[in-house]
Amino acid sequence: MNFRVLWAFAKKELGQTLRDPRMRTMLFLAPVIQLTLFGLALHNETRNIQLAVYAPPSDTLSWEIAHRAEGGGWFHLVTPASRDPFMALQAGQADAALVAPPGGLTMWVKRGHGDEQLLVDGTNTVRAAGIQSYLDSIRLAVIKERVLPPGTEQPPRIRLVERVLYNPTLESKNFMVPGVLVMLLLMGSLTITSTSISREKEGGTFETLMASPISPATILLGKSLPFMAVGFVSMHIALFAAVFLFDVPFRGTFVDLWIASIAFLLCSVSLGVLVSTQAKNQQQAMMGTFLFMYPAQMLSGITYPLDNMPKWLYTLTYLNPLRYFAILVRNILLKGGSPELFWPNVGGLLILGVCLMGLAWSRFKPTMN
Amino acid sequence: MDDHSPGIFERLATRTEGIFDLVLPRRAAALARKEARHIVRDPYTLGMNLLLPLMMLLLFGFAISFEPKDLAVAVLDQDHSQASAKVVEAVQGSGFFKIQASHGDPEKDVESERVKATLVIPAGFQKSVGRGEDPQIQVMLDGSDNAAASVVEGYLGGVVNSAWSRLQVERGQPAPLEPLEFKTRYLFNPEQDGHWFIVPGLLVIILGLLCVLMTALTVAKEWEQGSMELLLSTPIRPMDIILGKVAPYVGLGLFDVAIVYVAARVVFHVPFEGSHLLFMLGSFLFLLVALSQGLLISVGTRNQQVAFQLSMMLAMLPTMLLSGFIFPIESMPLFFRIFTAVLPPRWFMTIVRGLFLKGSGLGQLAVPFTVLALMAVLLTGLAIRNFKTDVEP
Amino acid sequence: MSPRQRAEPKAGWAVDVRHLTVRFGDFTAVDDVSFQVAKGEIFGFLGANGAGKTTTIRVLCGLLLPSSGEIHVGGEGYHDDNSGLKSHSGYMSQKFTLYNDLTVAQNLEFTAALRDVPVKELEARKERLFKLVGFDRDEDTLVGALPGGMKQQVSLAAALLHNPQIVFLDEPTAGVSPDSRARFWAVIRDLAKAGQTVFVTTHYMDEAEECGRIALMRDGKLVALDSPAGLKKHAFPYGLVELELSGEPKEGWDKAFSQLPGVESLKPHGRRWHLEPSTARAWGQLKARLPRGLKAHVIAPSLEDVFLKIVEPAKPKGAAHG
Repeated sequence: MNFRVLWAFAKKELGQTLRDPRMRTMLFLAPVIQLTLFGLALHNETRNIQLAVYAPPSDTLSWEIAHRAEGGGWFHLVTPASRDPFMALQAGQADAALVAPPGGLTMWVKRGHGDEQLLVDGTNTVRAAGIQSYLDSIRLAVIKERVLPPGTEQPPRIRLVERVLYNPTLESKNFMVPGVLVMLLLMGSLTITSTSISREKEGGTFETLMASPISPATILLGKSLPFMAVGFVSMHIALFAAVFLFDVPFRGTFVDLWIASIAFLLCSVSLGVLVSTQAKNQQQAMMGTFLFMYPAQMLSGITYPLDNMPKWLYTLTYLNPLRYFAILVRNILLKGGSPELFWPNVGGLLILGVCLMGLAWSRFKPTMN
Repeated sequence: MDDHSPGIFERLATRTEGIFDLVLPRRAAALARKEARHIVRDPYTLGMNLLLPLMMLLLFGFAISFEPKDLAVAVLDQDHSQASAKVVEAVQGSGFFKIQASHGDPEKDVESERVKATLVIPAGFQKSVGRGEDPQIQVMLDGSDNAAASVVEGYLGGVVNSAWSRLQVERGQPAPLEPLEFKTRYLFNPEQDGHWFIVPGLLVIILGLLCVLMTALTVAKEWEQGSMELLLSTPIRPMDIILGKVAPYVGLGLFDVAIVYVAARVVFHVPFEGSHLLFMLGSFLFLLVALSQGLLISVGTRNQQVAFQLSMMLAMLPTMLLSGFIFPIESMPLFFRIFTAVLPPRWFMTIVRGLFLKGSGLGQLAVPFTVLALMAVLLTGLAIRNFKTDVEP
Repeated sequence: MSPRQRAEPKAGWAVDVRHLTVRFGDFTAVDDVSFQVAKGEIFGFLGANGAGKTTTIRVLCGLLLPSSGEIHVGGEGYHDDNSGLKSHSGYMSQKFTLYNDLTVAQNLEFTAALRDVPVKELEARKERLFKLVGFDRDEDTLVGALPGGMKQQVSLAAALLHNPQIVFLDEPTAGVSPDSRARFWAVIRDLAKAGQTVFVTTHYMDEAEECGRIALMRDGKLVALDSPAGLKKHAFPYGLVELELSGEPKEGWDKAFSQLPGVESLKPHGRRWHLEPSTARAWGQLKARLPRGLKAHVIAPSLEDVFLKIVEPAKPKGAAHG
């Protein structure tokens, strides 16, 4: 292993890629943008719900429910332009509507039983379910506190005493941000490795490389190591921003994180090389990378849950390095890194990495002849 | 080896490429025809445009689901009574949860991520029932997946207590009073079918991604190759170049629209309540906007790698995440809610969902349509104006 | 004809360049260059890489705006969109010739549309041009499958498709085999005979010999402009002597010899040396003092000699000519 050559390579690769000021800003802007998105903008909780109430002012129960909803913080009361609740929801003027029975809910309840119509915009199923769930618990509270005469004996109900571990405030950023770190490391290593090799092929300089006495291994390493480093740095920028600016916890150790990262980089860089051996030029390399990255991200558990997938697809995710790394990063950041989770997943990454490397190598070597 | 025998896509293209000559001026049409040939001869581009929609449909149609189902929970029954057994049975039978054996330490269960939550039924559970008190169950939730945690929170209480009421009734105890009930109706998606929510949105995603990427790369490629220089040495005008480059992708885009529409209607049984005419108009407008976005990117940079990264940053991320596809815009902080107004996919999403599910008419969709039309004009104009014909940037 | 043509006709010149300067930021790529190219001429443009040749050609093809100066191609100057100027010229670029994933026919069809070649005339023109450049394969061949030399031929045909007044060829034979090169230049000669103006840049000295006149660029400036014969005469007014080994002269003989008066320069030339005398009679005197082991004979200077002399930096001893 000729380190001088390796170093020369690294300088050339980095120089070429980073020469473009746009590329530079992108590599360092990417962490910032992703963090902002995942740390601030994206929330998978259901909130800011626009609630319309169609009930006469005298209907105290309906309005009680409405005001409790608003008081809880998840709802905003709105007065839609439409008199028809259906039209209001269709026009997007409200997300849900409480419609009192003729005469008002209070009147019916006093008589023994009252049914309040709850119309929910069902377009977004997750949101709809959330809305229904919130309002239902308000309903129960209202029954207990307003409807039933005080001191009424209700049969015992099971009380759930909840403790939320690792993310007590249930903030979505704590779930999302680890995913950002994964994507940054991936993008930095995979995309750039594959395009830099194919750029050489396109420019014709690849043959010059092959004609030189440098070993294929050195060429491969020289082409991938600098970008591994770049991805690494990118990830750490994001990590520091996440911890210090966004208050995301970091309960594990750096050593754990680095071990996991290196195992992951093994996979992503090998993938980059693999893609580039198949691609004839940069454009193809980019498409190939894209075609991989996309489903890989979706089937990794970073943004969408893995648990609900059909069995066959779930098994497929075992082939996805992102899956392991996402679990690892999340575990390390939020839970401190549990050993029984750490080693199997790192092991998975290493096995995948070795296989991918072998595959990439077998594809790369013949091109040298 | 010398002779060139056209493949199936090529023959298709050759038949249809005459259409360019009908709608475009001569030079633009020639460029469009050439572009179409490049597309059909490059397996990767073709693959992207055909496979990506299919892949997304498969993934989002079948793989990813948001309905709570089989959430892994562990139950530590420290009471071993009839009552506690009933609770366990209820949780198991609800269909929402899947019980895993606990390893004894509820915190460790959650930490090792085998389960999303652990229920601990403390010793003395049944006894406290006998005493007429409200019995307690401890729940340890894994907060790191906050969405799952909310779901567990939301459903667990209901499941446990409705089982509990049934149990009470069986024992002859009075059922809890429910003097106030909701009659819930889910409008536009009565069965709460997740596919009705996701699949129409896929149209926005697919177009928003592909179109931007395609045009961004294709112009940058000509610059990098040097063929742009040759083009510019002829009397061709920037307007011709832009029209010619964009035209074939409009065709491809409309094809993708058709694929998703058919899949939505036929495979996923998503209804279409609105006007098909509006649908075509909206799709066409959005296509123009997306394609112009790609053009602007490639005008700004003449390098394919940079064009790719910029497209990812400016198109993929906002389209996937900020268009309201999965993450609702309403849940975003105020600043971002306002910010998404500059994103074309967000408006097209409103149109698509309105047309498929809500049966919205032009009146209700006036704002999104106007915005898209304005964006189309603005972006195309900017792309043309900024198309520098100087070979040195 | 364009209504904007000037009252004062630049008639007669195919290309008219006056005080052309092109600056990129701080860097001056072309520095106050002026020259004229007559119709039917083969005009050569020589210079090291980065001397400003490609930049000049790009300006002439309407691809770059000059920082200052005036140019006219085929009588047209720079107006709005330069379409007038562009329609008079054909261009064969150094970097890119044809689309590899399209057939020859498709490439030409595309060019024809861009260049407003009437559809009816396309077939006839293609046939004529294929004959001219010697392209005898099936026109439905993918360009990517053609060998380099043939790609150049078809590329030239494409540049000529619209019968331009003048055709600009930027290093057209770079990377092409020697007999392809020879054939290519045979075509250029035929073209010139037929009255076509050809503006060509090249690295190859033997090609430069074919040009009617040659312009030499160095660091953005025009340092020489003359016919090949004129350039040689001007650079080496007193002729050139070639020295070659016939035995084993003393170590360092060249250093000693070059210090003698009457030796303008002594340059190694492959395995020999070229000696330039400072005056008409210098060689007569130096002949006697030639070290043992060396043979000498007077030769006619080649363009390569001219090029090396003019383009290389000036030597401390004696001012550079030209």
